[in-house]
Amino acid sequence: MGEWIRFFIVAALLLLALACFASAVLGVWRFGYVMNRMHAAGIGDSLGIFCVAAALFIAGGPSWEEAKALLLVFFLWFTSPVSTHFLGQVEFFNSPDLPVYAAAGKEEGDGSRRNGNC
Amino acid sequence: MKEKFWRWLDGSREYLEDASDMDETPYREREEVKTQIRERNDSLDKRRGTRAVIRAEEKGFRLLYSWVAVISAIFLIGVLLYVVSYLPRYGQENPQTTLVARRYLEDGVRETGAINAVAGMILDYRAFDTLGESHVLFTALVCVMILLEKDRKNMRRGYEDYYRITGEGFYTPNRDGIMQAAGFVLLPSILLFGIYILLNGQNGPGGGFSGGTVLGSGLIIFTMAFGFDTVDRIASRRLLKGVTVVALGFYSFAKGYVFFTGANGLESHIPKGTPGAILSGGLILPLDIAVGLVVACTMFGFYSLFRRGSIGGKGKACSGKKAGTGAGTKAEGKDNA
Amino acid sequence: MALGVTEIVKILLLVLLIVCAISVNVTRSLLQSVIIFMAYSSIMCILWIFMESPDLAITEAAVGAGVSGVLFLLTLRRIREEDEDSSEDDGNTDF
Repeated sequence: MGEWIRFFIVAALLLLALACFASAVLGVWRFGYVMNRMHAAGIGDSLGIFCVAAALFIAGGPSWEEAKALLLVFFLWFTSPVSTHFLGQVEFFNSPDLPVYAAAGKEEGDGSRRNGNC
Repeated sequence: MKEKFWRWLDGSREYLEDASDMDETPYREREEVKTQIRERNDSLDKRRGTRAVIRAEEKGFRLLYSWVAVISAIFLIGVLLYVVSYLPRYGQENPQTTLVARRYLEDGVRETGAINAVAGMILDYRAFDTLGESHVLFTALVCVMILLEKDRKNMRRGYEDYYRITGEGFYTPNRDGIMQAAGFVLLPSILLFGIYILLNGQNGPGGGFSGGTVLGSGLIIFTMAFGFDTVDRIASRRLLKGVTVVALGFYSFAKGYVFFTGANGLESHIPKGTPGAILSGGLILPLDIAVGLVVACTMFGFYSLFRRGSIGGKGKACSGKKAGTGAGTKAEGKDNA
Repeated sequence: MALGVTEIVKILLLVLLIVCAISVNVTRSLLQSVIIFMAYSSIMCILWIFMESPDLAITEAAVGAGVSGVLFLLTLRRIREEDEDSSEDDGNTDF
């Protein structure tokens, strides 16, 4: 019985991680504007990675390897927001039409136009 | 006189102290040469006809270039495939070429004292190759210094110090609180990981090159978080240069000693130690440390040269320039917009 | 012939490697080329681990995806600033 409960928890966590990554990939693929794409990528980087590590932790039981995996998650939770912050800063300082987006609140538009030259 | 001699030995040059000291003549000369070239091109256009002819020539050259590139690439691919067809099949053992590998794998631990067979190979059996690689890195660093180091004649606008000296704003994320907090937490673990890889080369995966690159990346992140002013206090020019030269010299002398005493069946006086301990493997650990220090200094030197045009600090001659630095950081974010 | 999961992952990674290697040359924008090159290095790092050489994997991750990418980006910035200095616009600057 306990094994089955553990299996279902692990499966649910892995499916959640898969959903996170799927939404991240979809968002990076489909969103037109840099900030939205960054947000989409951040979901996969933080919650998806954490779900995978937690599933492994539950599946394998407490051991040093799982502790190392959790340390990796800690590391990624530090690095990913910092890189996102810098990307956003570059966009904030370099984009001429950022206030337009902020005012109109629209996510489509010609943001993809600047993909090539930024 | 003595100071001059030391400066000559040090290789340091006179750096710019002030914005009024800046020599603008290279720019003016460059602009003049550019206008001359433009005028000459215009007159050539007039003489030879329209620009369309030149365009057609360029188009033909591009067509020829792409065709020659494709044909030579196909030729090269054919040669490579022909050679590959003589190799043994994937996963199949070739008795002629695996003799050396088997000797290394079976007797490596006993002969070199290193559990990691790769470390035993690259730092004991074939340490001469690694010495050459270290010198290649050193030579690359010297070439980049020759090309990119800034002094009175090579002061381009691309360097950050140009903007600092002239007082213009240049966007640098140095004083970023988020990056500093992240660096405060992450840097110890990164540097510790690099040292762990460096010291553990004979027992597990790792060694000089990997540990050195991780250490260099840690220094680069340190620079990104806290700025060059902080890093210069730790990794000054004199320190980087001394570490590189001392490490390369130690490698050369130690390996020369081993080649002359141990490699010909003579007795080597360096103990092997018990395999598995940190102090084991004879000379592998010191050589690992030497290679790692060279690699780390090279990586950081590349970054520093590419970003601001000088390696390490500028020495004591130019330390009193806080005013320009403050102006540069205060006006950050304006320029790059 | 039965393919295990490892084999399928390896083949996928190899195909991605080839795609990356081709698109580094084909891409018009230099910045995108640099980013694809870093992705190439990351894939190569995973492949080194599959080939049981973690030494090379660490080096590849640190050098290929880290340091050389940083150097390429710094070079791109310098190139762009030098181009802004010289006011020749022939349409040759495509990044």
